[in-house]
Amino acid sequence: MRKISTIEGYIFFFSFQCFTLVKKKANEHVIFLSLFRAGDSPFFFPCRCGLPLVSFLSGTMSHQESQKLDNVNPLETRVEDVIERGDNDFLDDNHDQDEHSESSQSHQAVDESDSSEDEVAPRNTIGDVPLEWYKDEKHIGYDIAGRKITKKERQDKLDSFLASADDSKNWRKIYDEYNDEEVELTKEEIKHIRRLLKGKAPHAEFDPYAPYVDWFKWDDAKHPLSNAPEPKRRFIPSKWESKKVVEYVRAIRKGLIKFDQPKEEPRFYCLWGDDSSSADRTKHLAYIPPPKPKLPGHEESYNPSLEYIPTQEEINSYQLMYEEDRPKFIPKKFTSFRSIPAYENAIKDSFERCLDLYLCPRVRKKRINIDPESLKPKLPSRKDLRPYPSTCYLDYRGHEGAVLSISVEPSGQWIASGSKDGTVRIWEVETGRCLRVWEIGEAVQLVAWNPLPELPVLAASVGADVLILNTGFGNEEEQKRIKELLHIGTPTTDDSDDMSSFLSWIQDEKYDCIRLRHYRTVSSIEWHRKGDYLSTVMPAGESRAVLIHQLSKRLTQRLPFKLHGLPVSSVFHPTRSIFFVATKKNVRVYDLLKQKLIKKLETQLREVSSIAVHPAGDNLIVGSKEGKLCWFDMDLSSKPYKTLKCHPKDITKVAFHRSYPLFASCSDDCTAYIFHGMVYADLNQNPLIVPLEILRGHTSYDGRGVMDCKFHPRQPWLFTAGADSSIKLYCH
Amino acid sequence: MGKPKHYRPPGKKKEGNAARYVTRSQAIKILQVSLSDFRKLCIHKGVFPREPKKKVKGNHHTYYHLKDVMYILHDPLLEKFREIRAYQRKIKKAKAKKNDELAKLLLSRAPSYRLDMVIRDRYPTFIDALRDLDDPLTMVHLFAMLPAIDRLKIEVKRIHNCRRLCHEWQAYISRTHKLRKAFVAVKGIYYQAEVDGQKITWLAPHARQQVLTDDVDFNVMLTFLEFYEALLGFVNFQLYHSINVKYPPILDPRLEALAADLYALSRYFDANHRAVIQEPRVAGSSRSEQEQEESDLRLAQLQHQLPANEPGALMHLVQDASSEIEEDETTRNCKILFQNKKIFLSREVPRESLLFVIPAFGGIVSWEGDGAPFAESDDSITHQIVDRPTQGHVYLSREYVQPQWVYDCINARIILPTEPYMVGRDPPPHLSPFVDDEAEGYVPDYAKTIRQLQAAAKSDIQPLPGTGNDELDNSQNMLAEGFINRTEAMEAAEKKQEMMLLEKQYHNELKMELQGVSSINKLNSEDTKSKEQSLPDVEEQSAEDPSRLMMSRKKRGLYKAIEMGKQQKKERVEKLKERKRNIEAAQKSEKKHRKAQVS
Repeated sequence: MRKISTIEGYIFFFSFQCFTLVKKKANEHVIFLSLFRAGDSPFFFPCRCGLPLVSFLSGTMSHQESQKLDNVNPLETRVEDVIERGDNDFLDDNHDQDEHSESSQSHQAVDESDSSEDEVAPRNTIGDVPLEWYKDEKHIGYDIAGRKITKKERQDKLDSFLASADDSKNWRKIYDEYNDEEVELTKEEIKHIRRLLKGKAPHAEFDPYAPYVDWFKWDDAKHPLSNAPEPKRRFIPSKWESKKVVEYVRAIRKGLIKFDQPKEEPRFYCLWGDDSSSADRTKHLAYIPPPKPKLPGHEESYNPSLEYIPTQEEINSYQLMYEEDRPKFIPKKFTSFRSIPAYENAIKDSFERCLDLYLCPRVRKKRINIDPESLKPKLPSRKDLRPYPSTCYLDYRGHEGAVLSISVEPSGQWIASGSKDGTVRIWEVETGRCLRVWEIGEAVQLVAWNPLPELPVLAASVGADVLILNTGFGNEEEQKRIKELLHIGTPTTDDSDDMSSFLSWIQDEKYDCIRLRHYRTVSSIEWHRKGDYLSTVMPAGESRAVLIHQLSKRLTQRLPFKLHGLPVSSVFHPTRSIFFVATKKNVRVYDLLKQKLIKKLETQLREVSSIAVHPAGDNLIVGSKEGKLCWFDMDLSSKPYKTLKCHPKDITKVAFHRSYPLFASCSDDCTAYIFHGMVYADLNQNPLIVPLEILRGHTSYDGRGVMDCKFHPRQPWLFTAGADSSIKLYCH
Repeated sequence: MGKPKHYRPPGKKKEGNAARYVTRSQAIKILQVSLSDFRKLCIHKGVFPREPKKKVKGNHHTYYHLKDVMYILHDPLLEKFREIRAYQRKIKKAKAKKNDELAKLLLSRAPSYRLDMVIRDRYPTFIDALRDLDDPLTMVHLFAMLPAIDRLKIEVKRIHNCRRLCHEWQAYISRTHKLRKAFVAVKGIYYQAEVDGQKITWLAPHARQQVLTDDVDFNVMLTFLEFYEALLGFVNFQLYHSINVKYPPILDPRLEALAADLYALSRYFDANHRAVIQEPRVAGSSRSEQEQEESDLRLAQLQHQLPANEPGALMHLVQDASSEIEEDETTRNCKILFQNKKIFLSREVPRESLLFVIPAFGGIVSWEGDGAPFAESDDSITHQIVDRPTQGHVYLSREYVQPQWVYDCINARIILPTEPYMVGRDPPPHLSPFVDDEAEGYVPDYAKTIRQLQAAAKSDIQPLPGTGNDELDNSQNMLAEGFINRTEAMEAAEKKQEMMLLEKQYHNELKMELQGVSSINKLNSEDTKSKEQSLPDVEEQSAEDPSRLMMSRKKRGLYKAIEMGKQQKKERVEKLKERKRNIEAAQKSEKKHRKAQVS
């Protein structure tokens, strides 16, 4: 069992072996029992049971114990007071209580001794013995002087009933069996009981939830109190402290510890002074200010115009973009000010700006705010460079295959064309009438009029053969001469030369003309200005690739030079005995009289496709298969004076006008470009090149566009031959 | 064996880029500091990597100019950093030895550094500092909104300091009417002020709980912040000094406690200290005596600063002087925008921003809460800013508008009609004042209407005769006037152009004559010219291609880039137009649906 003591509102419970119930007063008994009844766990019953219980409790304590308590060195004198008082009060029942030897390690607390009942001693002194021992006796026990206390006469039930009926206060009376007397409970006591029955603290003024005050220092003691004697060190000055003091004194003397705080200087002051002009520039590298962040546009508004908000589909399509291209900010509309949330990337943006500021290399870049028009070179107006062909005037139809080549008669009245459908046709320029057709039966690669007006013959290349056709123009006398010229009695072979195996002059009966049989396909035919010589190029002809034929003597000679690379085309100089051979990479210039190489022009192109010489002879244009056109000024350098990248596809042909300062290029992209190419007599002035016009009109056929272009000899007109089997005439 | 590519005979000095630029690790080696200290030094000294023409060490290095490195090397800050590093080691050692006393002592005397000379060095003149003020202001405003986090070493003290600096700056701008533009974006509120001819733009985040992310190195940001705080402090000092106000300002503690710092600052400016004395006494009765003493002390200081006999005389003097000398036209315009307007802010409205903005444009403002200059029940209030779906109690004497109205008025520089901004309505789109619509190629509808209103306001500067009973009519009138004005302006412009053309022709002819070219049939040439003027447009477009052939490769690339940029811009505008068409079409069809449903 446990012993409970409640003092000052605290319950102390100890693990004592026995629990003594001393009945000294009936009311005590009742109170105690109700105490048990009210709180199920008596150990935690938070009440101040008041005096009766206290007295009972203090009564239970033996004298010896209280002495022991004395030795334990209690904390407060009040405690001792109470205990002593208890001793005095219950001195008489010491003997009885000795029986209940209790192992006492008690922790007694204080009572406030609030009522006078404390002084009324119980009449009976038998102690805590079963009362039935006195059941048969005439006395109930002994009083303090040792005299027997005789039992009173008990009221019978009728009397008691009557008493209760008579006396309204009878219910207050309780029979105390121990003392054998009737006790009348006071009003206060009844109140106490009532409160206890309700499970409350007996005293109304008691606050069960008062703040807890711990009177003891428990720090690391197993028990709250110690009875160790006061140590000596408490009474002598501390050595350690004196050392510390010395230390501090030294520190103060040394100035390590300062009592007066240093005066705080104002954090901010007028750093730049009053006059802003006093700028002492440090001799340091130029400061490059960081670029300012972009200012927000309409789309960053919290409430942008609706058109700035992308649709859901657009937002979804952003996912397909590369991360760099993806817009970083997607506009969104908030209907009111209060609905704007915190921007989730605020810190991140700021951080990135910081990184940019101290990690990004800065370079001062000139802001180019230039008018794109100013980038264009200063060229004379096109209006001033008129006339030049600009509009399609005529369309010569009749061919059934791609027109591969055209040639204009020197007088400018006729043009000849050779086509893939195996025909050579002659057209009247001004009307578009087809004058004559030769059915050759094989694709006609090239046609070329003889430049002499009095010798109207036409050279046409068909595969490996070159036909020299009589056009039938001119008066009778001329015709007669031509027929004579084109007549070969017997196939003459040059015995002196070994050309016979490679080339033969044959009379073609069908067309009444000369057939020059080459041993490889001919890619270029070019007449000499005097009309007697004819050069042909066979790219696969190796050392005999370039041949020069003489019509009057029916002679053929090969070019006596070694060519580096495959020849593509060849041209005669318009005035002098100079011969140009274009190989795939270079253009070689030979002097035919002196029999030597004059110049090598480096085109810096991938593959040359065509070449044309300016009528003055000092300038040269070269077209290439990568769509570039090079202008060479031979007096200037062996490198191109100008390279124009105009066509996206192969250039098929380039041409100079004989009298006007015009040149043209045509390409597989179905266009022809007209340029103004002015060559000045003054050697100090460079040629002027002005692009003038893009001529369109042909359609692409089989991947080819415009196959050939030729200028009219006198008018600023251009003829173009297209793969779409039409020939067009562009006039100014 | 061949020589290595960049062989340099021994004893020969490096030249060119190799001598002028060093990589980062080389720089660290030269300076003998840790990478983090180097970073700090770079941030404080404003040293940034540079792009050498030839990268000697390779493409993947960052290069610093050797002069920059030397600039750091000769700075006392470097020595200070070393000292601090050594000192930290001492403290660490003391702590490791459990010598708390020593550690405490050492901590109390830790060396510190100041950035004043660094700032002076970086910005030799005040204008230079103002020029670079965008980033500092943005950063400080951001940090003023951040919570203090121990884990990230963001101290409460710094946050408070940031807030204070912001308010001081805003108070100055507001007081001197230097604010020009304000734009409420999703990212925050952009402000643009013009101080000493420098346009300073900064972003203040919305007053919301900020989102903290993990992928941010706060050390870097805090180093920047340290510099920015110092810079802004000095700039503020200079600005306050320029208007003869003492810095740092001493604020009314009560208003400070009520988080009405800006108002407190403006009060400080006003130095209308009679009111200041009265109010704190009323409020101070409930406060503990100590606090009252403190505030009294502060007030005493405040009074001390001011000339004794006339309250605020100094301020007036300053204001007068400044108004005579400095104020340009825009400032004057800004000053009178909200003149005679008494604006009251409801509880839910972003108070700080509006308290800054409205006084900057000459308005008087109050708010709901303690310390406000006037209460909601004041009869003289002309506008009340409200941001709630419905307004319960309505005073008929004032207009209830959404906060956007204030910002739109500011950007348009006129008082806009309030009905589109009334409570519960969807306000018209809020447009950015930073966009040049003409250059952009697309003008939003609302920008057009604002322009018309502006034109109307300009033509009729004096307020319309105060019928005032029908606002709608008024605004329509204004619109109509705007239209008329516009058409007139257009006509005038056309006339002017014609005149210019004629003049030009005349000049050309004169020139021709001078050159000796006989001017053959002038009249004809005139005619042809006038005809040709329409023609070339068509011709030139076709001519573009040929002339491009003659450009050099570089120029061609540039030209292409320009063209591409133009194309992109065009596409953007096209997209906007298309979206708008779609929206309008959708709206129309919706209306039709409704009508159909109704009928």
